[in-house]
Amino acid sequence: MSQRPLELILARNLMSALSTPAFLVDEGGVLIFYNEAAGMLLGKRFEELGTVGPEEWGSLFGPLDADGKPIPYDELPLVVAVRNDRPAHANFKIRSASGSLQMVEASAFPILTAHGSRGAIAVFWPASSNGGAHR
Amino acid sequence: MRVKLWGTRGSVPSPGPETIRYGGNTSCVGITLSDGSLLALDAGTGIRNLGISLPPELTRLHILLTHLHLDHIQGLVFFAPAFRAQTEIVIWGPASPEASLRDRIARYISAPLSPVEVRELPCDVSFRHTPETEWEIGPARIRAASVAHRGPTLGYRIDDGESSLAYIPDHEPALGADIDALEEDWISGFALARDASLLIHDGQYADDEYPDHIGWGHSSLSHALSFARRSGAERTVLFHHDPLHSDERLDRLGVEARKHWVELGGKAEAVELGSEGSTYELPVRVPATAKAT
Repeated sequence: MSQRPLELILARNLMSALSTPAFLVDEGGVLIFYNEAAGMLLGKRFEELGTVGPEEWGSLFGPLDADGKPIPYDELPLVVAVRNDRPAHANFKIRSASGSLQMVEASAFPILTAHGSRGAIAVFWPASSNGGAHR
Repeated sequence: MRVKLWGTRGSVPSPGPETIRYGGNTSCVGITLSDGSLLALDAGTGIRNLGISLPPELTRLHILLTHLHLDHIQGLVFFAPAFRAQTEIVIWGPASPEASLRDRIARYISAPLSPVEVRELPCDVSFRHTPETEWEIGPARIRAASVAHRGPTLGYRIDDGESSLAYIPDHEPALGADIDALEEDWISGFALARDASLLIHDGQYADDEYPDHIGWGHSSLSHALSFARRSGAERTVLFHHDPLHSDERLDRLGVEARKHWVELGGKAEAVELGSEGSTYELPVRVPATAKAT
């Protein structure tokens, strides 16, 4: 197994210490970690799920717009951040492992280094509005 | 591969009668490769004595900098080969989005901090950012990777035939992480140190000092040994000694380190504290049982 870049190691260490739900993907869009707070939101701990390839994780937990329609993978903030090297924000619903729906806001930002992109981080928190996905 | 420690101290030079055995010079390790090529790892004040030891007819050497904190570059302007026109010096170091390696080093080698400017050095000096992929110097394959410290910081691995040296003098792999519980690929510096013949690693703090220095970029003795155990290095030299640690204090820490290593399942002789002037011929041949499992 290859060594993770330091920037991802430090990101995971930080996320592990946070109560803010957070996701981490590598430069290829593979979901490589989410923290305990995100696990509570999703109803499943990362250790139970393990790494998940791009495209696949996008559909694991919804995400759905305000009308309940699936949001295309390419439009998810984390995907926008890792592919376009820019921050992105959206509101949408996610489906937990128990099937319940939760409206969340998500902000994602890229992890850029002198050698290029390493991946991206997204933080989530419950949304109070019923607004649909927006960027 | 022959390895010699020219400076083992961290942070700031600490000469004096209380540090005479382990040494007061800051980080520098000299490497003689199997074909006679010369490398210097870091250019702390220890590089001054390395420079004095080199023959005047030396024509080329490489300096591999882990980072640009002063204790790792302070000796550059006192390095004798830099003042000889026939010497070619290649300085490798971490890239930064802010400025080139040359420009960042020139902040030190320039007025008012230095009596000479980089452009005035008589030697043929060049500056190169370390690539992300392995490269070669003489018979050696060199790898550099970012490691957990403050600011852009590298660790190095040098493979020459059957010998391998991992050099990670400033490193806090336990920052926000449990080294014993993490998967290997999530441990900072792991790939550099894996199964190395010799690991030279940060061991700046005693365990009871570390809680007051979390996030300073250095390891406690126990964290350094946990890292060494996970990496499977054959022999470990603890390095970058705290400037406040006297020889007597380091003697005691050495006893603690060996005891801890034995508790981890290794043999006491596979761990030591680095002393200025110590040399190592690689590959070392420590019995397999000396490695902790």
